[in-house]
Amino acid sequence: MNEPAPHLSIVVPVYNESANIRSLVGAVRDAIPGSDWELVIVDDGSEDATRARIKQAAEVDGRVRLIALARNFGQTAAMQAGFDFARGEVVVSMDGDLQNDPVDIPRLLAKLDDGFDLVVGYRVARQDRLITRKVPSWIANRIIARLTGVQIRDNGCSLKAYRRSILGRFVLYSDMHRFIPAMAVAVAGARVAEIPVRHHPRRAGKSKYGLSRIWKVLSDLMAIKMISSFRSRPLVMFGLGALVSAAIGLGFTLLTLLSVPGGFRSDMAYAYVFPSIVIVWFTSAFYLLLLGLIGEVAVRNETISGRTVFSVAGEST
Amino acid sequence: MSDYESGSPRQRADDTSGIRAKTSPQPDVTVIVPVTERPVSLAELYEEYSEALKSSGRTFEYIFVVEPWHQGSVAVLRDLVERGEPIRVVEAGHMIGESAMLKLAAGNARGRTLVVLPAYHRVVATAIPDAVAAVEQGADLANCRRWPRHDSWLNRVQTRILHSAVTGLPRRTVRDVGSGVRAMRPEVLRDIPLYGDFFRFLPVLALRDGYSVVEIDAAQHPRDTALRVYPPGVYMRRAIDVFGLFFLSRFTYKPLRFFGLIGSLLSGVGALILIVMFIQRLGGQGLADRPLLLLGVLIFTLGVQAIALGLIGEIIVHFNAQGHRSYRLASERGRPESVGDAAGGDGNEGHPSRVTPQGRVP
Repeated sequence: MNEPAPHLSIVVPVYNESANIRSLVGAVRDAIPGSDWELVIVDDGSEDATRARIKQAAEVDGRVRLIALARNFGQTAAMQAGFDFARGEVVVSMDGDLQNDPVDIPRLLAKLDDGFDLVVGYRVARQDRLITRKVPSWIANRIIARLTGVQIRDNGCSLKAYRRSILGRFVLYSDMHRFIPAMAVAVAGARVAEIPVRHHPRRAGKSKYGLSRIWKVLSDLMAIKMISSFRSRPLVMFGLGALVSAAIGLGFTLLTLLSVPGGFRSDMAYAYVFPSIVIVWFTSAFYLLLLGLIGEVAVRNETISGRTVFSVAGEST
Repeated sequence: MSDYESGSPRQRADDTSGIRAKTSPQPDVTVIVPVTERPVSLAELYEEYSEALKSSGRTFEYIFVVEPWHQGSVAVLRDLVERGEPIRVVEAGHMIGESAMLKLAAGNARGRTLVVLPAYHRVVATAIPDAVAAVEQGADLANCRRWPRHDSWLNRVQTRILHSAVTGLPRRTVRDVGSGVRAMRPEVLRDIPLYGDFFRFLPVLALRDGYSVVEIDAAQHPRDTALRVYPPGVYMRRAIDVFGLFFLSRFTYKPLRFFGLIGSLLSGVGALILIVMFIQRLGGQGLADRPLLLLGVLIFTLGVQAIALGLIGEIIVHFNAQGHRSYRLASERGRPESVGDAAGGDGNEGHPSRVTPQGRVP
């Protein structure tokens, strides 16, 4: 039971992938030389035989481990579970449907040794449908890069290698697995590199994603922007919004004065339309300002309670 | 008065029961009775329900949780305690609400299976051993469904409505959340966060956290058949609870998806109005005398405010999430199902918020 922890942990969240487990284990075994690794397969509440298949594989090969979740919690939670129970100094995450090729793992590790905390694969010659997969993903990657300032070509590629130290500094929740590089940079100050990786079409099983995620990705993007840019000073962002609102309010004040040069007459509609608009904008400015203050309180409370808003890039010994 | 001010729950050490509780072996069942509304004779209730447990051959203890309000009703239990019945009375120092009462009792319970029993008659007593048996056979929670029912159709309509509202939300269903009679593993009550009126929805919350929930049919108690019509405020609160449940079960970790949706719809409509009016303005039509402009601005700013509120929510969630885990490991009869040494034995099968594997994240 107390064998030493392996150097490398490969974390694979799976959901209803019973047809792929055997080939997954085989592919990893073929691709990684030596035995200083473990394969942590997280069963995200599958309804098919996935769990039993992983158990079988774990019985045959001691390097395979099963982490079973109580129900389907989603890919992000499953991945976090895998990270939590991975024991290696280096952790690699990968899809369970064999669209990533474990053969690329040694190259990721080599890149990590060049002094990076996170190495992200990007898929070349992607084997997916153009309209429903490639185009939305191209647009999303552009927007993510633009908003977060973290230039990653392919955020949707699960094949990534992490240093243990970087994983300890942030927790994934909601659907944040799509934004791991941005989170890692913004929250943990990670040094990130990219290398091209292979991509295979799905061999068995069904894809679990469709176009419906566009709204989710968009709202998560707004959230990630908020977190990456303003997590330490929300008041700055909300104050900006308040200023803009107040400026528009002022603009309408001027318009009001200009549009009624002869003074207000209560029987005329413009006696109330423009003045009311002025009130709406100033109220909105006030509200945003207050909201920004609440945000500051939230951040301050967390900082006081001991969690850090920044992280140390490295310590020299 | 100092007890009340400190707000700490105090436990009355009824000599006999306290000592018995410490020395007697672990009972099979702990029956938790929060004493709140509709007080009936607790002695009668105890005798009726414990008889059924006794004849099923299980050992048991009873925990009555009382708030200061209902202290009078537990005086009758003292006789039973003196007779040596396995009863403990846990007194809250102040009004804490039923969810907190259950939590308080769960912290004091020693049984292998917990039964939550309302302090009034809901189902026939023989249903209790059935529910306990269901848990002993591997379920995490067994909910008693009042079936067949004998009460007024109006009561049943109320149950039906509450039901379609609550269970229409999560995919799997429980058919009677209102019965309030449940048997469960101790960790279910200990680990699920409960506050406010959410104790009502315990089976639904348990399903959401991935516990296995079964429902057993239990004949309705003859005394549960009185027609119940509540003041409108009660229905209002219930509706708000259901909405809260809906919101929390979907958006706890992603508030912006909810606020952002409302906000984008509002500001989208507002923007549309403003754009149309802007084009008309270019065509030479005046703006200052058109109240529609005001509506457009109002809706637009409301939308922006909703989004801003969602962003604040995201910040709060982001910081909270750093110490939490949004998953729970599967377990079978209280033991983790995971394979591999680290996942096996270090007590990580608890609720996500308690999981701190390898002590990496505080």
